[in-house]
Amino acid sequence: MNKFAQLGADIVKLWTKYGSAYLSGIENTLILALVGTVIGCVIGFACGVLNTIPYTKADHPVKRFVLGLVRVIIRIYVEVFRGTPMVLQAVFLYYGLPYFSNNSVKFTSVWAAAIVVVSINTGAYMAESVRGGIISVDPGQTEGAKAIGMTHVQTMLYVILPQALRNIMPQIGNNFIINVKDTSVMFIIGFPDFFSAHRAAVGASYLYFPSATVEMVGYLTMTLVASFLLRWIERKLDGSASYELVQVDQLTMTAGTYSYPDKGSPFDERSPESVKSMQREALRRQIEREAAEREGQLAEQRRETHAAQKGGKR
Amino acid sequence: MGESILKINHLSKTFGSNLVLKDIDFTVDAGDVISIIGASGSGKSTLLRCINLLETPTSGEILYHGKNVLSRGTNAPAYRAHVGMVFQSFNLFNNMSVLENCIVGQMRVLKRDREQARAHAMEYLEKVGMAPYINARPRQISGGQKQRVAIARAMAMDPEVLLFDEPTSALDPEMVGEVLTAMKALAESGMTMLVVTHEMAFARDVSHRVVYMNGGVICEQGSPEQIFSNPTKPETAEFLARFRKN
Repeated sequence: MNKFAQLGADIVKLWTKYGSAYLSGIENTLILALVGTVIGCVIGFACGVLNTIPYTKADHPVKRFVLGLVRVIIRIYVEVFRGTPMVLQAVFLYYGLPYFSNNSVKFTSVWAAAIVVVSINTGAYMAESVRGGIISVDPGQTEGAKAIGMTHVQTMLYVILPQALRNIMPQIGNNFIINVKDTSVMFIIGFPDFFSAHRAAVGASYLYFPSATVEMVGYLTMTLVASFLLRWIERKLDGSASYELVQVDQLTMTAGTYSYPDKGSPFDERSPESVKSMQREALRRQIEREAAEREGQLAEQRRETHAAQKGGKR
Repeated sequence: MGESILKINHLSKTFGSNLVLKDIDFTVDAGDVISIIGASGSGKSTLLRCINLLETPTSGEILYHGKNVLSRGTNAPAYRAHVGMVFQSFNLFNNMSVLENCIVGQMRVLKRDREQARAHAMEYLEKVGMAPYINARPRQISGGQKQRVAIARAMAMDPEVLLFDEPTSALDPEMVGEVLTAMKALAESGMTMLVVTHEMAFARDVSHRVVYMNGGVICEQGSPEQIFSNPTKPETAEFLARFRKN
């Protein structure tokens, strides 16, 4: 008990002195993780779309070559950035660029460097997730979109990616939570994240364990809140489980269910004949809705006439 | 019949070493309602998918108003916008409501504005009796309803010819009627239709021409009366006899 009391006292001591540093570290970590994940997702989606552009032997050789080349480049990108530690990628970019260009090309701020590294790292993971998400969408969806004349990009944008996005939402959440924690390696290039606040605090106070406790609680709080929010977003994406029938009154069930803003009531401009047929149709739909047997009867009638016709043919 | 919309010459398709379509010759004129019948695996669906370029034929040509769409440089999406297709498995866009399904193609492909597209979509949704369900998602409606929406979606694009790939095969028996009714109304309105079907009553009563396919070739084609009551080929007679028994 004694020890816990001491830990509490130490934490209070740390917080009064370095509280603002911890808080700004949390802020920086969250911003970096969020921006990195969002840009990474954009990179991932771009790679996923480029990766799935179909080409056949009938296409122009230049087009085939370019598409093939694009796939190879994306593959290399994914393998390299997925296969090396982010901490080394940060060092490599931050110190490598000035090294090779004699200081003429370099990151002027650690923010830019950190965002670039986290983004392209996340992008490499997301490229594969997006590919998986696109594959997971029923191929019939692509065919349906193509059959009404959509191009590959339109098919992707309006039909496939929205569904793929929903399917890979848990993966995106995963990546965000990983980014919240893994951005701690950015201290290597001097990025002022939550973990670097710990390094600064213990450097002066030598309270290693109390500060680590603060860090632990801080990171866990961030990730718990993040996963709660992600679940909420997923539920939002799923939308409502029910829908509303659009109907005004029973007679106008089919005709009055929508409005022509410039035409007034749908009955106004129609011949009495079409009104009558509409009323008949409305009545039919009403009966259909009230009792499913009606449809069954129709089907039965159809089968009977079918059988009669078949009998007649024999 | 009017001028020919589609003319198919010597069309062949192989999957690996498997020859699915052999030297198909075939014409679709404006206003035609053609039923393609035949046993499973006879290449009916593949023929339809080749016409819509969902499959790339191995050889032959498909002339759309005299232009070969299989030649290099054909704008396949633009061509498909004129040739609608209704699938066995509906293929409605799951991420959109019924109304959005019928609007998105008009807006993105035909560049209509939203109001115009909506009015046009409603016209066809009303025709197939789906107007009350415009806010529903595809997963919330029945198979027959989905197929009727799919028909409205295809029609909203104002295609010159509409291809039906076994539109009722995935439906429960009591839902077949509602889809066939919608298709019959379409046929009567003068739409050019190419229907792969196992519904012999539809082929006989609604279509103008019946094509019987067997083993990747067009075995026989003619008027429904001729095919159903007086088939010239023994294979056709045998196929129809098998159907009558069931």
